[in-house]
Amino acid sequence: MPGIKLYVGIWLGLVIATVMEVVVRSLPGTASLIVLVIGLIASAKAIAIALYYQHLRYDGIRLSTLPLAAIVGIVFLAVSAAMTISMGM
Amino acid sequence: MKDEDAHNEENKSSFVPLILAAGVAVFLLGLVVYTPILIAGLIIIAAGLFKLFKEGASEKFAQRKKADEEDYPMESVSNEKLGLWIFLTSEILIFGSLIVAYLYVRVSSGSWPIASQTHNVLLGMTNTIILLTSSLTMILGLYFIRLGNVGRLKICLGGTFALGCSFLAIKLGIEWPTLIHNGFTINSGLPASTYFVLTGLHAVHVAVGLVAVGYLMFRAYTGGFTSTNHVAVENIGLYWHFVDIVWMILFPLFYLI
Repeated sequence: MPGIKLYVGIWLGLVIATVMEVVVRSLPGTASLIVLVIGLIASAKAIAIALYYQHLRYDGIRLSTLPLAAIVGIVFLAVSAAMTISMGM
Repeated sequence: MKDEDAHNEENKSSFVPLILAAGVAVFLLGLVVYTPILIAGLIIIAAGLFKLFKEGASEKFAQRKKADEEDYPMESVSNEKLGLWIFLTSEILIFGSLIVAYLYVRVSSGSWPIASQTHNVLLGMTNTIILLTSSLTMILGLYFIRLGNVGRLKICLGGTFALGCSFLAIKLGIEWPTLIHNGFTINSGLPASTYFVLTGLHAVHVAVGLVAVGYLMFRAYTGGFTSTNHVAVENIGLYWHFVDIVWMILFPLFYLI
């Protein structure tokens, strides 16, 4: 069972990452690069919560296949939407 | 032995899913037809939840031990946790579809308001940190009850409940009224309607989570949890963390980019 130090450490990392997201937003740079960096930070935060607070890291890969299957479906939907937009332009 | 199993299964039958489904149906009907019907739906839902709490508190749904081969391929996962994860998988599909729909209309639209000019980034960041902290108190509650420390579990659950209420107070008490006052209403265009639908659905999930945390607090204060009997804390925690994860995606989408 993970300990308090790990849980508090993860929380601290998540709070720092949240502040970083807000800071990155106001940095100079192309819009697409800023969106990419913010997207990566947000995804890392979501993955950290799932792995450590929802214990997916400790419950085994078989249980992870359930949310992963849903995420694959959503990615497929997003790719389909992107293709529809690109064909329309 | 078979008779005993059949007797156990019979005892676990419950009308609660039927009552809740009927309540939601009446509530949704009332939403579009007539307000008193909506209130009747809420009363039915409340009655269903009360019965669920009562049956849950009496451990009616406790599972009998099954042979490992019955659990393949999830031998290491309890039925309750597996059921919760199947539910969360459906939730990922609901929120994921809405987020993709939001991105689709946003990219397809010729113009879209700049996030920071419409929404208060500081309030959004505050709410994000509040939800992250509520997840920390929730997981610490599980940690303490695994050690048999009910006192600290109560403190952690109280913290989670207070933080969840704070999130909703900021969202529904400050942000939404300010936006509506500034003319950013659900009818004022796609940027507003997508914002209110997604953050509104998320707020409903937070409210449901608060009811569930309230149930945990009731059980904690009535001696319902021990170091070996705390499955509800773990599973409601999984739901709470999921609501947190959804906000980690919604926050940058609506406030930062």
